[in-house]
Amino acid sequence: MEPDVSVETGCMIRIAVLPVGAIPQAHLRDYASMLVRHRHVDLSSISSFYTEHQKSPFANQPWDSGTLRFKFMVGGSPLSPWEDFQSHRKILAVIGICHCPSSPDLQLVEEEFANACKGYSSALVKRCFAFCPADSQVEETEALMVLNVAVKLEFSVFLQLEDCDVQIDMEKRMFKWYPRMIVLQGQLGSAIMLPLHFDGSECYPVTLWAKPLLAMLWLAFVLVGDIHYFLFPLEDGGRRGDNLILFPPADHQTQQFHLQTMMQDIAASLLMEFEKWVLRAESSGTILKTPLDSQTSLSSEEVIKAKKRRLGRAQKTIGDYCLLAGSPVDANAHYSTALELARLTGDFFWYAGALEGSVCALLIDRMGQKDPVLEDEVRYRYNSVIVHYRKSFMQDNAQRWKVSTLSFELEATLKLVRFLCREHAKEVVELLMTAADGAKSLIDASDRLILFVEIARLFGTLGYQRKAAFFARQVAQLYMQQDDSLAAISAMQVLAMTTKAYRLQSRATLTKSLASSDEISDGGKLNPQSVVTLFESQWSTLQMVVLREILLSSVRAGDPLAAWSAAARLLRSYYPLITPAGQSGLASALTNAADRLPSGTRSADPALPFIRLHSFPVHSSQVDIVKRNPGREEWWLGSAPSGPFIYTPFSKGDPADSNKQELIWIVGEPVQVVVELVNPCGFDLTVDSIYLSVHSGNFDPFPMRVSLAPNSAKVIKLSGMPTSMGPVTIPGCTVHCFGVITEHLFKEVDNLLLGAAQGLVLSDPFRCCGGDGGVILFEGEIRDVLISLTNAGSVPVEQAHISLSGKNQDSVISVVYETLKSALPLKPGAEVAIPVTIKAWQLSTADLDSAGGKNTTSMGRLSKDGSSPMLLIHYAGTTVSAAQPLLVVPHVGAVASIMYICFVSSFRSLGPWAQSGATDVNSSPVPPGRRLVVPLHVCVLQGLSFVKARLLSMEIPAHVSETLPCLDKKSSNLISGAKPDSLVKIDPYRGSWGLRLLELELSNPTDVVFDIRVSVQLENKMKEDQSTFVVDASDFGYPETRIDRDYSARVLIPLEHFKLPILDGSFFIKDSKSDANQGSSRSSSFSEKNTKAELNASIKNLISRIKVKWQSGRSSSGELNIKDAILSALQTSAMDILLPDPLTFGFKLAKSSIPPADIVDLPKEANILAVPPGSKGSILAHEMTPFEVFVRNNTKEMIKMKLSITCRDVAGENCIDGSKATVIWAGVLSGISMEVPPLQEIKHAFSLYFLVPGEYTLVAAAVIDDANDILRARAKTNSPDEPIFCRGPPFHVKVIGTA
Amino acid sequence: MIVCVSVVGHQNNPLYLQSFTEEDDALKLHHVVHCSLDVIDERVNNPKKTGSTLNETFLGLLYPTENYKVYGYLTNTKVKFILVTTDVDVRDADMRNFFRRFHSAYVDAVSNPFHVPGKKITSRSFAERVSTIVKSFGLGGAV
Repeated sequence: MEPDVSVETGCMIRIAVLPVGAIPQAHLRDYASMLVRHRHVDLSSISSFYTEHQKSPFANQPWDSGTLRFKFMVGGSPLSPWEDFQSHRKILAVIGICHCPSSPDLQLVEEEFANACKGYSSALVKRCFAFCPADSQVEETEALMVLNVAVKLEFSVFLQLEDCDVQIDMEKRMFKWYPRMIVLQGQLGSAIMLPLHFDGSECYPVTLWAKPLLAMLWLAFVLVGDIHYFLFPLEDGGRRGDNLILFPPADHQTQQFHLQTMMQDIAASLLMEFEKWVLRAESSGTILKTPLDSQTSLSSEEVIKAKKRRLGRAQKTIGDYCLLAGSPVDANAHYSTALELARLTGDFFWYAGALEGSVCALLIDRMGQKDPVLEDEVRYRYNSVIVHYRKSFMQDNAQRWKVSTLSFELEATLKLVRFLCREHAKEVVELLMTAADGAKSLIDASDRLILFVEIARLFGTLGYQRKAAFFARQVAQLYMQQDDSLAAISAMQVLAMTTKAYRLQSRATLTKSLASSDEISDGGKLNPQSVVTLFESQWSTLQMVVLREILLSSVRAGDPLAAWSAAARLLRSYYPLITPAGQSGLASALTNAADRLPSGTRSADPALPFIRLHSFPVHSSQVDIVKRNPGREEWWLGSAPSGPFIYTPFSKGDPADSNKQELIWIVGEPVQVVVELVNPCGFDLTVDSIYLSVHSGNFDPFPMRVSLAPNSAKVIKLSGMPTSMGPVTIPGCTVHCFGVITEHLFKEVDNLLLGAAQGLVLSDPFRCCGGDGGVILFEGEIRDVLISLTNAGSVPVEQAHISLSGKNQDSVISVVYETLKSALPLKPGAEVAIPVTIKAWQLSTADLDSAGGKNTTSMGRLSKDGSSPMLLIHYAGTTVSAAQPLLVVPHVGAVASIMYICFVSSFRSLGPWAQSGATDVNSSPVPPGRRLVVPLHVCVLQGLSFVKARLLSMEIPAHVSETLPCLDKKSSNLISGAKPDSLVKIDPYRGSWGLRLLELELSNPTDVVFDIRVSVQLENKMKEDQSTFVVDASDFGYPETRIDRDYSARVLIPLEHFKLPILDGSFFIKDSKSDANQGSSRSSSFSEKNTKAELNASIKNLISRIKVKWQSGRSSSGELNIKDAILSALQTSAMDILLPDPLTFGFKLAKSSIPPADIVDLPKEANILAVPPGSKGSILAHEMTPFEVFVRNNTKEMIKMKLSITCRDVAGENCIDGSKATVIWAGVLSGISMEVPPLQEIKHAFSLYFLVPGEYTLVAAAVIDDANDILRARAKTNSPDEPIFCRGPPFHVKVIGTA
Repeated sequence: MIVCVSVVGHQNNPLYLQSFTEEDDALKLHHVVHCSLDVIDERVNNPKKTGSTLNETFLGLLYPTENYKVYGYLTNTKVKFILVTTDVDVRDADMRNFFRRFHSAYVDAVSNPFHVPGKKITSRSFAERVSTIVKSFGLGGAV
């Protein structure tokens, strides 16, 4: 099989193009490309070279419109065993290409060419083109060329010969009128200027003898005169052999013209040879053999048939030659005869061949026409061709002789496909898939290769890029099966072509296509093509396979750069899908490839690390000169340097354009850009050098070396120095890693992050690696940072003072001023690191919007200039010197969390100051100080957000047991020394009547996971010493709540330890109003305010004790600021939470009923849970059980009341009263009058006799007589007559036994 | 037998790909599905639809390849369903029926509030439902 076949292949004259002598690849390619342009030579243009020796057999040759078609086989081609069958498979001409400078001996060249031609016995014309001959080579030849000049128009030819000895053997006049011979002799490189005037309307054959070189010059000038086709070198009369043609050194265009002339000559020669061949074949016949025939011996009875067959085959071949000669009509006539004969003799194979030829003739004849009838005709005939090739397939041949007509069948299919390609996609696909199926039965591996190549190409022409890629991969796999590096190179190149379909082009190829669109979409917008790329990048399974194949093939092909690039792309794009071992394997593949590359090799495809722009230093003037006020200790006050305006409109940037910040850098001042590096892979990554890549040439970047641990990120500052005025664009970083230099563009990472945000890309490398750069904080995050100050001046800093200014000052929780103070005086070059604790502020809604937008486009996450707090550092030296110390924040301290501050050291302020300072020195002895403004560049991201808070109550009745449920839990717990019990555990014996739970609903809109930990600080006032205990709820083992990204969660905070022990009148405004004093309304209102404030304070106190802390990852933690939310949630029921009820009720079993042994065992509350519930506090039915009810007065006044006790069964029915009472009692149960002294408790005993085992509930209630205002206020009633009713929590009684 | 079904998003991004063969030919099926996008692209770009077929979602046989036949279906939102089968003779009605049910399964899956449009479909119940539909394919009855 052959590549690149089409229906028209049958009319192409094959010419082998062979390099002769040593010839550099580039030159060969250049010459060959010049040559292949002459694929078509019009018959009309060769008429002057053509001489009819006999009557041409091509009677119907279209001299006006016909063409000879050439197919140049650069490098030659092996002989085909089928060349008798299809004449276009013969090599009919040989063109040698010689590059004279590298082959000095032309004699040798000639010999070599003659030898090379021996391999092509079928070649009818042989020429060797020698380009760029040297002076000496031309001198040597002394060849004279005969030019036959046919002149039809009047024109002038100027030949200029400088430095010449030209002998012109004729006068102008004679030349004008008579065909004469002129002999020109000149030096190489010279030009002849010879004005010749032709004005005849007839043809004047002029024979001109000249050196070939000069003849060419002549032609060149004629070309300039726009009359190209009048001068033709026909025969060269030199001593040199026929075949060597020297081309003078000339410009491309001239050489092109020479070549054209030569090709026309060759075409004419070929045409004449074809005529000869056909004439001979017609007269004497010819023997035509194919591999099929050589295997089958003809049986004797078929002899007659064989003769006819031979005739038919000869006709077919003559038809082929007619086609080659550009005469389709003649060809068709011969083919018709051939078809007839082949059909009669059952010669299917040749029938198919003739039919193919006839289709070709048809198409050539109707060249340029396009009608459905023609199309149908071609399709019909070709289907017949395919059928006949199939018919001629003989199993026997295929198996015994490894000769099969299948390849012809497939070729015919491909030809048909190529013909139909433009219109009938569906049909074509089916044909191609059938052809692909045929591949399995192809015997020759290279046939299969060609078939797949062709299928891939045809799918490509159809626009089916993915299918083309699929078959290209098949081709590559076939190549890979061959064990040599050339095949591997081919495989690699084929695979490289598939990368477009699989959307994994190397940037080297991609940049070309994107170059134009890049400029348009530079404004941070995403290139539409990259969006599509992102989408299609999800075919990762396929992409990885292809990349791996590219890697393998390039390793085998010995192309380390391609291997490096493939491994880099594989690693960079698919690291989440590759095991750590595989990642390390790729890393070593990178290193191995780099070992074989020269140092300093650049690759278009970046590997690791991922680099994103973090921020630019955004300060214009931080170091100001401040006049010192000698009289004050705070010398900087009252000496603001900012001019007459307190507010300068220019200091504020346009908030709408916060994304684009204008930076001004000063030539010669070092600047820094902060970038974030990430190594998401499982190996240690060493970046040999990284620096800012600047193409504008006015910036000196300073390289640095970084190493990154597995799965880690680093924020580093890359510095450099602008060297000349003009815009500086920093598109990315240049990285020297894995032995190769690559450019990492920020924009690409932005695209990647955008893709990750949309879920299109496998993973965001910056997310999975928790970096130690903590400048990006979530709302409420608390972080310790170090600010490192260095004295970059030449004078020690004697005084320094730090203050805060700007927005969000309160986010700076602490600044350790002492560290700076103690470091004074700061000598030149000395450095001091000041710890600062920052708590990220809350974003406003406007911020949230812009931050959200920003995050998706991720424009380097520039922190907003306006919202960061500023550190104002006033400092001064004491010496009377014009030179000022200069404090710089140059680099970062080495502590776990570090604040990176971008900083411009503004040396320029020294200049003007030095002058004005000189005058100042006279007037005041105090030299001025300086002010350094350091914005704390904190970028606050939206963190955990609060949705709502609400109060829930949970009511679980207590069980009656031998002990009272602790009424004053806090004190008892602390006294007993036990830890407060868990906030979440509810002791069933204690119950939790009136337990309030604060429910916080939080949502996590970020892309990280948050762990929430609620802590409630218990401030317990010990009765004895009033000391305060703060117990963190984390001691309770309160579990963390995890909130995944994009989820929300609810956190419950039990609010039960807040009740005050005493119900005090001071909490009630109304009380104080009436009680406090009868004095002036003013004092009353003051008191009112006071108490209100007290209440508010205690609510605030309550709220401030609830802390919701979060942690995310290893390094970031903070606190949620939800005070306001809690306040509003608690507002209505704050009193219920804070204030105790006036009366508390409790039941317990009277001790008398307990066996004494158990008393010892009486567990403390903390242990109660350990005891099996059935064993204690159980009450037997049919037994008198003594109970005690306790009533405690929580107020400071005596309370009179009537106590009642009820007992209910499971159904809630009163089971003491009524006809169906199941409980008998002893003692008083209702209307018990009691007086409880303040802060005391009273007990009342009674006994119950349960008739039926089961669950019962005891409830105590009281009606308070003569309730005072406090009680009324607490009960939230206004009417003085309404009885105040207090009800205790229900207590469960479990009665066991048999009914 | 259906060997593979796949959902491909409107940007030609794979959303779901499930094979139903025992062999380890996931990569091959990936290729088959990926290649079939060529044909769909072509049909989308050169719509020859008129009149009654204007709203036709069923694309019919996309192309035969090796032992497989690939069928396609295109929703109004340009989401493609691709089916790879080894059956030589498939009734058009069966295929339509299959795609109709597959479509409704897909609609249910993407209606899940936890599904992010454009991301791969990870729903287990979708997978189960798809395998039920695949199993019942060609049996003729609606399940």
